[in-house]
Amino acid sequence: MSGAHWAMIGLLALGAAAIRVAGLVAGGRIRSSRHAWMLEDLPGLIVVSLVASSLIGQPLPTWLAAGVALVIAVVTNHVIATMAAGVLAFAGLTWLGL
Amino acid sequence: MRGMTHGMLRGAVSILPLAFGAALYGFAFGLLAAQVGFPWWGVGLMSASVHAGSSQIVAVEQLAATGTVLGAVLAGVALNLRYVGIVASLADVLDGLPLRVRLIAIHITGDENWALTMAERAKSPDVGAAFLMGSGLVMISVWTASTALGAVIGAVLPDLERFGLGFAFTAAFIAMARGLWRGRSRALPWAVAAGATIAAISLGAPRAYGIVAGALCGLVAISLMRRTRAAAP
Repeated sequence: MSGAHWAMIGLLALGAAAIRVAGLVAGGRIRSSRHAWMLEDLPGLIVVSLVASSLIGQPLPTWLAAGVALVIAVVTNHVIATMAAGVLAFAGLTWLGL
Repeated sequence: MRGMTHGMLRGAVSILPLAFGAALYGFAFGLLAAQVGFPWWGVGLMSASVHAGSSQIVAVEQLAATGTVLGAVLAGVALNLRYVGIVASLADVLDGLPLRVRLIAIHITGDENWALTMAERAKSPDVGAAFLMGSGLVMISVWTASTALGAVIGAVLPDLERFGLGFAFTAAFIAMARGLWRGRSRALPWAVAAGATIAAISLGAPRAYGIVAGALCGLVAISLMRRTRAAAP
């Protein structure tokens, strides 16, 4: 492994750790401030943004399968059931060539 | 102590389906990294010490494309900015733990085990640091092993998207969002977050920046709603 490879691993690990520690410090500060409400709302907003980023630019079957997954999620509130139903819907819709 | 072990075990078992999906991506990443000159143990070392899939993938791609270490690292680190918010949101979960345990907990925190912990915690408040760490240990172990194995085997994997693997993660995050739903008052901020993410990515922003922009716009929307409510007679 060359020096460049070592440098990349070291710097990337340092950067990732710095970001996580920044989050730890920020969390502690926010928690004891008048903005503590952010900590309750942040998870939902990040997860919704993750979902939106996965769907943007995707073809119709992916959006339809996401709709199926959403219905199952609302009804069951269960991660595995939603994954299974979503993947089945995705596979079915893709197989049908929609 | 017994409660801690039970919580960790519960987290470890609950994350297994997502860990399986991550392992397949891990194989693919290991293959890519091996082609750029990383030995299998170097790939494993990177996965264990960085533990950020998208960052690693982008950094290795950039290194292959440009050959410059600093540019590759900056691109990889920038992709990880959402972790400021992710880790900050763990303040309550990690409260009261010794610093060294908190540092370990945030290192083994990834998108999947964080979101699953928060979604399960919304259903049952006894879910906390033990669940996060149990699920996190499984994820970092699986990620490290699968990426190193991918570099060793070097086999060409089938097109993972064709089997709906990418969508399995999307479906899982949809279920986790359902678990984090806190009533109709959050419909507008969630729509703002999703809309801002889509707008940012449509305008050419990388996916990771779109997520940060979406979450920030959602926070601004909630802040404005709170001010409006406070100002109402």
